[in-house]
Amino acid sequence: MAKTILIVDDSASMRQLVAITLRAAGYDLIEACDGVDALAKIRGRKVHLIISDVNMPNMDGITFVTEVKKIPEFKFVPVIMLTTEVQESKKQAGQAAGAKAWVVKPFQPAQMLGAVSKLIMP
Amino acid sequence: MSLDQALQTFFAESRELLQQMEEMLLFLESSPEDNEAINAVFRAAHTIKGSAGMFGLDFIVKFTHTVENLLDKVRDGEVRITSDLVAELLQCRDHIEDLVEHAHGGGEELAADKHSRGEQLGTSLLRFFPGALVKSAEKAAPRQVTEAAAKLESSGGGEVASDTWHISLRFGRDVLRQGMDPLSFIRYLATLGEITSLTTLPDALPGAEEMDAESCYLGFEISFRSAADKKTIEDVFEFVRDDCEIHILPPGSKLAEFVALIKSLPEEEALLGEILVASGALTQNELEQGLKNQSQVDAPLGEILVEQHCVPQPVVDAALEKQKQGKDAKSQEARFVRVHADKLDELINLVGELVIAGASANLLARRTKDGAMMEATSVVSGLVEEIRDGALKLRMVEIGETFSRFQRVVRDVSKELGKDIGLEISGADTELDKTVVEKIGDPLMHLVRNSMDHGIEVAELRLQRGKPAKGTLQLNAFHDSGSIVIEVSDDGGGLSRERILRKALERGLIAEGQNLSDSEVFNLIFEPGFSTAEQVTNLSGRGVGMDVVRRNIQALRGTVDIDSEEGVGTTTRIRLPLTLAIIDGFLVGVSASSFVIPLDMVVECIELSEADRRAAAERNYISLRGQVLPYLRLRDLFDVSGTVARRENVVVVQYAGQKVGLVVDELLGEFQTVIKPLGRVFRNLKGIAGSTILGTGEVALILDVQSMIRMVSGKAEKGLVA
Repeated sequence: MAKTILIVDDSASMRQLVAITLRAAGYDLIEACDGVDALAKIRGRKVHLIISDVNMPNMDGITFVTEVKKIPEFKFVPVIMLTTEVQESKKQAGQAAGAKAWVVKPFQPAQMLGAVSKLIMP
Repeated sequence: MSLDQALQTFFAESRELLQQMEEMLLFLESSPEDNEAINAVFRAAHTIKGSAGMFGLDFIVKFTHTVENLLDKVRDGEVRITSDLVAELLQCRDHIEDLVEHAHGGGEELAADKHSRGEQLGTSLLRFFPGALVKSAEKAAPRQVTEAAAKLESSGGGEVASDTWHISLRFGRDVLRQGMDPLSFIRYLATLGEITSLTTLPDALPGAEEMDAESCYLGFEISFRSAADKKTIEDVFEFVRDDCEIHILPPGSKLAEFVALIKSLPEEEALLGEILVASGALTQNELEQGLKNQSQVDAPLGEILVEQHCVPQPVVDAALEKQKQGKDAKSQEARFVRVHADKLDELINLVGELVIAGASANLLARRTKDGAMMEATSVVSGLVEEIRDGALKLRMVEIGETFSRFQRVVRDVSKELGKDIGLEISGADTELDKTVVEKIGDPLMHLVRNSMDHGIEVAELRLQRGKPAKGTLQLNAFHDSGSIVIEVSDDGGGLSRERILRKALERGLIAEGQNLSDSEVFNLIFEPGFSTAEQVTNLSGRGVGMDVVRRNIQALRGTVDIDSEEGVGTTTRIRLPLTLAIIDGFLVGVSASSFVIPLDMVVECIELSEADRRAAAERNYISLRGQVLPYLRLRDLFDVSGTVARRENVVVVQYAGQKVGLVVDELLGEFQTVIKPLGRVFRNLKGIAGSTILGTGEVALILDVQSMIRMVSGKAEKGLVA
């Protein structure tokens, strides 16, 4: 069974791009536009990897990761944060919250795929 | 869903975000403390930048990045919102919108004006940054000494003699808890090459009762054969690097490769670390670690890196050598800015207007007789003159580029013709106006082909005539009294006076028994419909060439003439004005009319003596220090009304080696002349090249010296024949 990846980003174009790349590589995708939306969408589902943006309205990425790690089923799910180089402090905050992997925006689809396959296999 | 659709989503999304950004910025102006608004503005810039990067719209990324940086500082409270800042940010927003629309329009490269607008905004944003100069200070590589030399972390082992990379891994305790699977990294590593051996180190495993199932205690020693570079291998572990101990040692064979790579890098000034990173011997992370250590130890970076076992000594030596070369090269590099030609034209036009306006201001100042005023305007006109020269120089290009194109032409054409012809170029650094250069290419091409086809003989004939078998074609350029001369010469058969005369008679270009000088005969070949070639080749000889050449050159206010000696060779000489826009003129007056003579052609001015005035009625020359000087009376030539002045002057002008005196009433001195073309009605006027506007607003005519010289010499010869 294909593994499931959750992508959380407020930018629809970013979500689409990530989704196009990962679907082509054989993953299942769940898309959410912010933390609140994501928490609602993954309830009761099995997720193998979470990709989340940091800056989002409603609930930002750091809060979302902190929240999601509190749910037992998602405690050990690896998280890739999407960051930009200016956000060194955010990166550290993300790592503290349990998101150890990150991909720096802007990235090539291949980079995203590389980061994902370091963490899980399709 | 396709990538293009995603791109369309991006454009729509960006517009929305920019709209939001604008609203929020306006809102911030009245309530600068509103965090939610600040966040929204930041998010807009951030998202646009992120997405633009994904679609490879680098110009958007680059500009937005600066804006985002500043907004980040605002968010962190380091920079306060002021109305000044809001105004600046609004402008930035507009620029981003511009850029997005540009991308939407399918534009790839950014137009220069947009680019410079971005640069300008970026620069003006800098003043809002706290400690604006920190970045550059950082670049200068801090060399401060701190007391204790911190113990450098050694990775245990220098370079490895074998042909495999050696990777030493100790995973952190928490990797599993963070959702990281050590195995998946090693599996990923295997996609880059071949793991030749892997030893698992269980040494850190505690006894069963102390062991925590959620912790990772494992270490690995891996021999890895791969063509991947160090950075790629290091990147495999980027997500766990902070918690893990990782040492990557290059295989022995890589050493020589690094050294070779460093040597082949472009010669630019670079820091040692940058060179090493560029060659792949050092990764960015190792460099950062090294720099961190450098701030604690007073030692050159190279030594530290060797000490850290990041880079072997020979590689550092090679990089240091390279760095030295780069510094040397830097100082010699010429710097260029690309500018659109239209902008230069516009500038020249404006300078022309400035010259006219300046002359008018000068005149008015002189009328006021106010000393201070006159001094001020004279300073201004001096500066205007410099600006004019500077602006015109901007359009000057060396003719060398045009010439060197002919190397190829000569090579190809001589092959086609089966002749052995070499091209010699001289005066390639002679400068002339860009517009002239552009238009001179075709006529030159024609002349060159003509010379090769009809001028230079076939090898046997050349040998018979005692010339070397290899023909020579010369392109030469030089400056000569205000014009540029371009010569195309060959050492071929030369023009046959007899044949040209015969042909001209045949075509009815001349009448039987007409007495013509050599140069007049040779210039007949520029007449429309004239061709002496016995055989029409596909290169030339259709008789359409030479008259077109002359027309093209005349359109540039130039002339063309031919020198030839039968059996020895032919030289075609093109004379062109240096510039088509503004010249230094010499203003003269005849009664109430003013005329401008191009200053470069003026040799001297003398007073017309009484004796000469008297003699003038009988002969059309005067004696200039014993030499015959034909002259023209402008008053007669242009039928200027008014009484003859009490005193007259002669302006001696020279063009193409011939001197002529122009008789005028008054000498009014030098005058910066903006050339205004004459209307179509006046196209056939002889002796007038154009017009200009004087400071008073009156129009002065610019004399066409070359045609006047032709008039005079024609008259003289006719006089002789008669």
